[in-house]
Amino acid sequence: MIDPRHEESACLYVLDLLEGAELAEFEAALARDPALGQHVRELREAAAALAHTPRPAVPPPEVKQCILSRCSRASTPPASAPNRILSFPALIPWALAACLALCAAWTGSLYLTARSENAMLRDSQRLADLELRSARTQFDSERIVDQREIAETRQQLADAAKDLSNSSRQVADLNQKLKVEADMAQYKITTLDSTPDHAPQAVAVVVWCPSMQEGVLAVKKLPDLPAGKDYQLWVIDPAKGPVDAGVFAIDAATGEAHVTFKTRQPIKSIAKFAVSMEQKGGSPTPHDVVLLSSSDSL
Amino acid sequence: MRNNIRPSHAAQASEERAGVDALLLRRMAAGDNAALSELYDRFSRPLYATALRIVNDPSDAQDIIQDAFVALWEKASIFETERGTAFSWAVTLVRNRAIDRLRSRRRRARLLEGSTPAELGYREDTDGPAADDSAALNDDARSVRAAVDALPADQQRALKLAFFSGLTQEEIAAKLQEPLGTVKARIRRGLHKLRDTMGRRL
Repeated sequence: MIDPRHEESACLYVLDLLEGAELAEFEAALARDPALGQHVRELREAAAALAHTPRPAVPPPEVKQCILSRCSRASTPPASAPNRILSFPALIPWALAACLALCAAWTGSLYLTARSENAMLRDSQRLADLELRSARTQFDSERIVDQREIAETRQQLADAAKDLSNSSRQVADLNQKLKVEADMAQYKITTLDSTPDHAPQAVAVVVWCPSMQEGVLAVKKLPDLPAGKDYQLWVIDPAKGPVDAGVFAIDAATGEAHVTFKTRQPIKSIAKFAVSMEQKGGSPTPHDVVLLSSSDSL
Repeated sequence: MRNNIRPSHAAQASEERAGVDALLLRRMAAGDNAALSELYDRFSRPLYATALRIVNDPSDAQDIIQDAFVALWEKASIFETERGTAFSWAVTLVRNRAIDRLRSRRRRARLLEGSTPAELGYREDTDGPAADDSAALNDDARSVRAAVDALPADQQRALKLAFFSGLTQEEIAAKLQEPLGTVKARIRRGLHKLRDTMGRRL
């Protein structure tokens, strides 16, 4: 079914009366609609028939001659080759030549095919070499990267171990300090008083750590020892009596001594400390003169 | 309905003529000068008459059909029967060239405004064969003439102006002193009737 609007446009179209937008619109519709195309063809035939309506006129004969002349010059009909009839014996050399040509062509074709295949194989080998080289390069690069990563990891482990060691050391130090501080809390300090008859100016201080069973004695202004004598420190345990804490000497110039001591037996509680003058090398029990003693029990 | 009309003897003859024309074009495409000569004999009279009617100058008309036949020779290989007959193609080539020449002449002379038909290169009194020319018409021409003569006078006039004058729609309306819509309707009705009449023949 043709759109009535297009029917009128189709009439104007075949008479070349459409222009501008009308023409563009109609040609677009024409391109879309095959039925409209058929309608236009019928109208064009009808319009062409109007060529029969003018008064008949015959063109002069020279017009035809001129046309034929122009078209003859324009055309180039193919030249025909002369026909030759050849006898069978005359064809033999040509047949041989044709066979040779075919053989040569076949051989040449085989050669070209083989050469082409060879070239393809070479190309394939080159490609495989390239792929292998590429894979090796990639493997090497990955190996280098892995080695670096391993070295970095090792370094990190070493650093971590170092840090751990430092930390452990710090912890140990801290523990030690803590222990020392704890021990310090346990330390007992006492002063030793001199006896007026034997060492009137002597003074002494003892610091005792019960947990370590160890102590320090600082003493001043003790009198010079007679020959064959030693000062001996005693720890008086209420349960055990005097326990030997070792002998010591003093600096002859200053009369001072700083002595770290340990008892020969474990001490549970201390009644007092005492310093006596004993025979050289000390004695198991105090026999001689007591020079210093603490007054209060620890 | 056109589709229900059985092809007549005239229609068969017309189809045969179109088939021969197409065959001649194919031979021309193959470089056959004899085919060109034959086609010229079949087409030259209506084409020359058309060109002469449009340009109203024998010398120009001769140039036009020369150019048109050379174009047919050169373009014969692209001819497709599905797009129309060889005759309608040849008419289109001649008409386009004639109208181009006519419009060029008008532009040069600047005579369009207020010109008489003769001054426009279009003469309305050149239709129809003279009594002694009627014998020159073939069956096709006679039946087309009969079909056109059967149209109402206003449709005939509008159609002929549209086909031969090279005027635009508006110029045709001005010339006929009718509204543009009326002119378009006359052209449409006239061309449809002509197609239907020829369809009965075809």
